[in-house]
Amino acid sequence: MGMAKTGLRATALVGVGALLLTACGGSDDGDDGSSTDGGQAGGTLRILSIGSKILSLDPQRNYTGEDLAFASGYLTRTLTQFTYEEGQGGWTLQPDMATDLGTPNEDASQWEFTLRDGVTWQDGSEVTCDQIKYGVSRTFAQTVITGGPTYAISMLDIPTDADGNSTYLGPYEDSKDNNVEAFDEAIGCSEDGKTITFNLNKPVPDFNNAVTLSSFSPVPEEADTGEDYEDMIVSNGPYQIESYKRDQELVLVRNPNWDSASDPARPAYPDEVIVEFGLDSNSIDQRLIASTSDDASAVQMQAMQADVLNQVFTDPQLDGRRWNEASPYTLYIAIDNKQVTNVMHRQALAVCLDRAARRTIAGGDYAGALADGVIKNNFLGYEPTGMWDTLLGAPIPDEGDPEYGMQLIEDSGEPMPTIRYDYAQSSTSDKIAASLVESMKRCDIDVEANPIDAGQYYGIVLDPAKRGALINGGWGADWGNASTVVPELLASFGGWNLSDYSNPEFDKEAQAALENLDLPSQTQQWNELNALAMSEAAVIPTLFENDQRMAGTDVGGAYIWAPYGSWPYAQLSVEE
Amino acid sequence: MSSPHFPSEVEERILEEVPSSTLPEGDPDKQIAGRSLTQLAWARLKRDHVAMVALVFIILLLLVAMFAPLLANLLNIDQYQPDRAVLDDATGGLPTGWLSSGISWDHPLGVEPGSGRDIAGMLLFGARISLLIAVTSTVLVVILGVAIGAATGYLGGRFDAVVGRTMDFILIFPLLLMLIALSDPLTQRIESWTGLAGNNSRIVYIIFVFVFFTWPYLARIVRGQVLSLREREFVESAVSMGSGSRRIIFKELIPNLWAPVIVYATLALPSFIAAEAALAFLGVGVVPPEVTWGKMLSDSVVYYTSVPTYLFIPGTLLFLVVLAFNLFGDSVRDALDPRAGRV
Repeated sequence: MGMAKTGLRATALVGVGALLLTACGGSDDGDDGSSTDGGQAGGTLRILSIGSKILSLDPQRNYTGEDLAFASGYLTRTLTQFTYEEGQGGWTLQPDMATDLGTPNEDASQWEFTLRDGVTWQDGSEVTCDQIKYGVSRTFAQTVITGGPTYAISMLDIPTDADGNSTYLGPYEDSKDNNVEAFDEAIGCSEDGKTITFNLNKPVPDFNNAVTLSSFSPVPEEADTGEDYEDMIVSNGPYQIESYKRDQELVLVRNPNWDSASDPARPAYPDEVIVEFGLDSNSIDQRLIASTSDDASAVQMQAMQADVLNQVFTDPQLDGRRWNEASPYTLYIAIDNKQVTNVMHRQALAVCLDRAARRTIAGGDYAGALADGVIKNNFLGYEPTGMWDTLLGAPIPDEGDPEYGMQLIEDSGEPMPTIRYDYAQSSTSDKIAASLVESMKRCDIDVEANPIDAGQYYGIVLDPAKRGALINGGWGADWGNASTVVPELLASFGGWNLSDYSNPEFDKEAQAALENLDLPSQTQQWNELNALAMSEAAVIPTLFENDQRMAGTDVGGAYIWAPYGSWPYAQLSVEE
Repeated sequence: MSSPHFPSEVEERILEEVPSSTLPEGDPDKQIAGRSLTQLAWARLKRDHVAMVALVFIILLLLVAMFAPLLANLLNIDQYQPDRAVLDDATGGLPTGWLSSGISWDHPLGVEPGSGRDIAGMLLFGARISLLIAVTSTVLVVILGVAIGAATGYLGGRFDAVVGRTMDFILIFPLLLMLIALSDPLTQRIESWTGLAGNNSRIVYIIFVFVFFTWPYLARIVRGQVLSLREREFVESAVSMGSGSRRIIFKELIPNLWAPVIVYATLALPSFIAAEAALAFLGVGVVPPEVTWGKMLSDSVVYYTSVPTYLFIPGTLLFLVVLAFNLFGDSVRDALDPRAGRV
């Protein structure tokens, strides 16, 4: 899931008009909307979104927590999936299209899954092994299928060229050089089309977690329209797309060919699911507080804004339909290690930052807890790194320690380089930037704030030539193993190393940990590597984020689903 | 109010009988006085109470903006230094006190939710940037609009055709879209050309776009005025005495154009303040920690229920400033010439 996050809280443009449109409050009809076991079938569930569309419904391109949970609940089945359960139990795996959680060979470099009977597409045809294979092959077409997870490329046993790029270039590539044979060997299908075998280039003891990502799910070749496939995907889940208009709405209706016997985890209560796009976040919050007419059966797709939190969480009438839970995301400021080369300078930046002020702006107690590393504190096997107690040479108060920071700069014997702070613009992140500039000024560090349009943000900061020395970021684990966090963010071979941290010792240990078949000791290795990178201030961890959400009075089955920090979409019902 | 009628043709001096009512009772020196247009207009303006209140407000505002640092020192206000003591983490970072505003002796207008910055200080320094943009844009628009408008009107012919079509071309551009679309690339250009960094280049950019897309409006008004002026005797006599085009434009025409221009300027200035505020809503504007009034307003809108004063105070102020400039501009127009250029 998750992956990258642009800001502290998603925000939309707020027009003055919103003030007039939403100013009328509503009465509470007394229904506390608490979930009931079983749930009621029928009705229309509404999902209110500030986005102009689902970021990508294309299984191979979908890589944001909420969107993965949404697609998985309604349209896109995967080999395995996370359990629909409140709390940390949600991280447990259960089979979805596969009959079980997969069978590894001795060193976990080969995994075999058997498909259930009765898993069909919306036209009634059976999902086959070849279609899964075709789906996975799309990930390799990196110029067409952009933005998705790349675990298929890094894990499947396909030779790479001298530059380390895969020699297989996906199904759209016609040239002779395209190494189709290697791909055909990497994924094998049995004669009856019921068993799929993944041959990996290294031991991956938790590969059955990786296949919860929809990038390992099937696509019918004849329906594939390349980068436009996201507009009208073919469903194998309980619903199918009836209409999908950007900035307006996505309408899902029941898939008549979905067989509930093949899909025990998705009760599929409502008859219809409608996502309303392009709404103003403030008006979503107000609509859900009022919860009148259609809004009574609505949930919000993004977290609430900081300004309404106190109102929502002190109003006893809203009890039972408001949630304040840890999200999967750790928020951090990456320090570009190639721009700030001196480790004492990086430490000084971490020491000078007023983290407490940052947290207050983000929503105070609602924003979450101060972070001490990239592994989140609600993660299984999390251990504190001690970053703010010992790792930086002295205990650092939450407000920062300007004196010690200046001393670090002086001891480094070099002047601090110019510092620019890049962030995705929103009203809240502007305030946070102002606070950062101010707190660095206490250490005589001049920082220039550089707001970037949220839609272009990661495109710019992922380019080392374009980014500033400080880059705001957020990251959540893809599954319950810190192997999807620590090396992704901090190893020189990681896919999201915004800080360009490159420590040969760290890389070697990380590679060893990735191949460690014993998960508890692997977890221990990630904790140690996390602490190592923090002691060199590769990034400044700022918040273990909390999210707040509301559902309408008639929505049943709602809770925050831990693996994605999302609604458990497949479980939501409308209780009328 | 009713506007006194006054001929639109502007002469060097106009004779008008001073109304006896304005003279002291029983003044033995009842006489015919010669008064300039300026004196007449000023006399009318002085009688207009609304205009006077607006003018005093505007002058005060300009003085406050000009001496903001001094004033901030005097009142012991710091717009950057957050006061975290008045914020409550348990309420999501809202200020404490009356209406969650954070209003106290230390913060007479309260603090910004979340950050704890003093709103009075932010307004004080925000006014500098907002007014700098509005005043500079207005001055540049007036200079460009008058010079080019007068030249096209007087010279006519091919020059008029070419410049006129260029103005039409500029006028058809949707200003707001251009502002947003060009914001990043042009700001970077300005940075590399002028060596200005950060906010300075952004302010220059906003002024540039405002001026570039606004001057043709004034130029068209001026051109229309010049078309009628150039047929008049004093211009013809200047021509017959052998004056060059430049002299006629600058010495004969432009001095007679200032009535519509002043009116235009007093109405353009508040529209630039409002436009800057609108831009802040669209994310084009200065970067933190600096603020403008528009930025404060756009940040505060979502707090209309939780911290109403945060929205109300900058909102009211912005409203009053734009209103004052508009009322004053209207009055100036009435005083100068009720028929010249309803802009």
